[in-house]
Amino acid sequence: MNLRHVFLTFGKELREALRDRRTLAIMILLPLVIYPLLSMLAAQVATGREKQREERPSTIALTGTGFDRDALATQILANPTLFVLLPSGTPADVEHGRLDLLVELAPNNGGKLTVLYDASRDESRTAEDRLDSVFAKSFPDGCAPTFSARKRSVAPQAVLGGYLLSKALPLFVVLMVLLGAFYPAIDVTAGERERGTLETVLCSPIQRFDLMLGKVLAVATLAALTGVLNLASMAITLMQILRLAAQNVVVDIPWGHALLSSLVIFPASLLFAAAFVALGATARTFKEAQTLLLPVYFLTVAPAMAGAIGEYPLAGIVAWIPGMNITLLARDLLVGRATWSGGLATMASILLLSVAALAAAARIYDSERLVAPPPRRQRAAGAPARTTSAGDALVLFALAFLLLYFVFLPIEQRHLASGLLVAEWVGLFGLVWLFGRTSGQTFKSALGYSRPRPRAVLGAALAGCSAWAAVAIFSEWVLPVPKQLLEELRKSLIPLDGSRGFVATLLLVAVTPAICEECLFRGPILHGLRTRLDSVAAVVITAALFGLFHMDVYRLIPTMMLGVLLGFIALESGSIVPAMVAHFCNNAMLVTLASLRLDRRLETLSHRTLTLIVIASIVLTTAGIALIRGARRRPEV
Amino acid sequence: MEMAGKVEGMLGPLAVLDSASKSFGDVLAVARLSLSIPGGEIYGLLGPNGAGKTTALRMLAGLLGPSLGSARVAGQDANTSAAKRRLGYLSGSTGLFGRLTPREVLDYFGQIHGLSRVEIGQRVAALAPALALEGILDRRCEALSTGERQRVSIARAVLHDPAVLILDEPTSGLDVLASRFMRDFIRAERARGKAVLFSTHYLAEAELLCDRIGFLHRGRLIAEGSPTEIRAQTGKSTLEEAFLALAQNAEETEDPGDLL
Repeated sequence: MNLRHVFLTFGKELREALRDRRTLAIMILLPLVIYPLLSMLAAQVATGREKQREERPSTIALTGTGFDRDALATQILANPTLFVLLPSGTPADVEHGRLDLLVELAPNNGGKLTVLYDASRDESRTAEDRLDSVFAKSFPDGCAPTFSARKRSVAPQAVLGGYLLSKALPLFVVLMVLLGAFYPAIDVTAGERERGTLETVLCSPIQRFDLMLGKVLAVATLAALTGVLNLASMAITLMQILRLAAQNVVVDIPWGHALLSSLVIFPASLLFAAAFVALGATARTFKEAQTLLLPVYFLTVAPAMAGAIGEYPLAGIVAWIPGMNITLLARDLLVGRATWSGGLATMASILLLSVAALAAAARIYDSERLVAPPPRRQRAAGAPARTTSAGDALVLFALAFLLLYFVFLPIEQRHLASGLLVAEWVGLFGLVWLFGRTSGQTFKSALGYSRPRPRAVLGAALAGCSAWAAVAIFSEWVLPVPKQLLEELRKSLIPLDGSRGFVATLLLVAVTPAICEECLFRGPILHGLRTRLDSVAAVVITAALFGLFHMDVYRLIPTMMLGVLLGFIALESGSIVPAMVAHFCNNAMLVTLASLRLDRRLETLSHRTLTLIVIASIVLTTAGIALIRGARRRPEV
Repeated sequence: MEMAGKVEGMLGPLAVLDSASKSFGDVLAVARLSLSIPGGEIYGLLGPNGAGKTTALRMLAGLLGPSLGSARVAGQDANTSAAKRRLGYLSGSTGLFGRLTPREVLDYFGQIHGLSRVEIGQRVAALAPALALEGILDRRCEALSTGERQRVSIARAVLHDPAVLILDEPTSGLDVLASRFMRDFIRAERARGKAVLFSTHYLAEAELLCDRIGFLHRGRLIAEGSPTEIRAQTGKSTLEEAFLALAQNAEETEDPGDLL
């Protein structure tokens, strides 16, 4: 690495960007006027977390001997789904999250009691609400209680302020940094190509890695600057509000923690800059780069939102999810709960991903690919007039998503089975058919259909029948679905009350999605993206879109994992049919297990047994993939 | 700092394409092209649009690797830093950063080529009067006229005093005065011992300037020699007539299967 070249490029890119009005407008003007709004996903995550909290009984302890301790304990014990009564507890236990609620009974104090809770913790506030309802049910209407309760939150005002701020600030940090990196990343890559300066740079004696590192550092600096300017603007606004409402202020803002928390801007800027520059490097034009980066922008916002809204701990796999880990680290720093392990895992994840993105950018930014004219393909007689482009793929996804959300979901909510059938056969299959007809292609060519080899179909069936176990167990480990939601899903899709037969359920839940969803996702979307991206990137982005299409945060990971497998099968076999077979087998296995009530037994298995099942699942899936690869058509000599 | 342009003592040709072929997908852009340009020579690569001129120049500039054969600059593989340090390349577009000034552009590329700030200052001071840059060095490149941009691009290409100059249609879009200025500059570089390879589809310009000419047609070199030799070979009085005769002959005898 030649550091002189890196810093020369860094300085040159920074100077160019700061002389560009569009960059300045996005970096300074736009954030001062507009702050993004939270969307449906945020509400969904919040609801999911609320349900999880509702399922968990609150921990409560009684201290002191005043009032009628036994009567109160009896009332609490009478509600085992709401409370677990611990033999003892202290205010410090409430403060450190070991106890949700502490009721202090004052001796000889006229029936007064003090309820201690932590207003900065959702669980503690839920416990306090539950105690209120227990008290309310204890006395018939019109009867006054024989005691008076005083409530006191153990959370210091600054912690409460930090808690309130932690719900908003981390997400803003991520959004602003993303926004700050977006335009400069396109400008230094696709913009350079469009302005005709690419050849000049690539024929000078600078290594591609040095060149891209200089560019990434410049974009990261601009993104960080955007983040800092936005935070400064937010802070000034907040101070102004607090000054004007000084009389009614009930919280203090922990400015020290906020400052510490805002330091995550810098690693976040590096990560997003590297990712955006890598993607921008694949584009031929500015417009194309915008089309490619927008979905990634939203894909990054989604986990960041989940982190901001949900009460996830920064530990385990969560600490490695980009966007989410940054939001959670900022939150923990704000409320003073950051741990070394969470912080280090986040930093390691950011560093690893940034280096990987940078290496990919250096590989992609190759004159051989960028300077060469796009290959002119000679059209064989009878071949379609055009093929699906990456832009077509994204437009098709957007159309399918809009149709589902605004047309078919309302039907599904009234009648699930008919809604699902219409959504799949009209909204997906019909859409692809219409696309094929209107884009000068045949339906088959829009799908990327070719006759599969029997061995590839066999391999796909094996992979589809076995992959579900690893996918399900891994997803449950990363992001467990609240039991209530899982039950609702089971009841609606696979009713066990005899209202829908096994075959009808298979047709609805396995056959239909296998055909219709594959038609769209492993058809024009995958093949369209493949025209601009390499196989891995096209498969992963298609899988991410497939996951998002299911509009369920808890099914995002399993559907994405399945999407990766299906995309890989479709590309390796050179046909969409094996992907349909694998999709069918996967869903059919889940239906069969649920029908035999075997899925519930999975929850009771030991860790060791689950590990063995995962290993078996991976081995069988790999064997299926090997069969598909073995069946691959070799180029004719 | 050793100036790359000090070509004395270097034996053999400075720019070489050795049976170089380049294909994009199933399209063959250049087929088994061999060129060899010594120092002190101006070589013109001629041909209609799509003949493969730019692809041939890009292979020598290290931007495209030959599918078959090799490309070398000053004895080094063209796609190495050592070769790129001895090469000055002027692309079809001017390749200037619009939001920077010519002085900043020259400073950036000078440092990338290993020159110190002082050396860059001295080189800019020497080049400015020759290329009429004095009044425009501190204006943004995006505000310059086509001719001014072309002069800045030349300064960028020769700032590090390279041994080999590759110019892709250097007079395209220039007015009469600017074109003449460019031709004078190319002759001056030849006089300094540089190997100059340039592409053009202006045959009259090639006749005025080149020591040797190569005619490209559908990626193949169909004739090579001095303008006088080529006219004599074809029995035509102008290069344009000679080229038309050669192209027609090539169309009649071309065997597509023999290209690679």
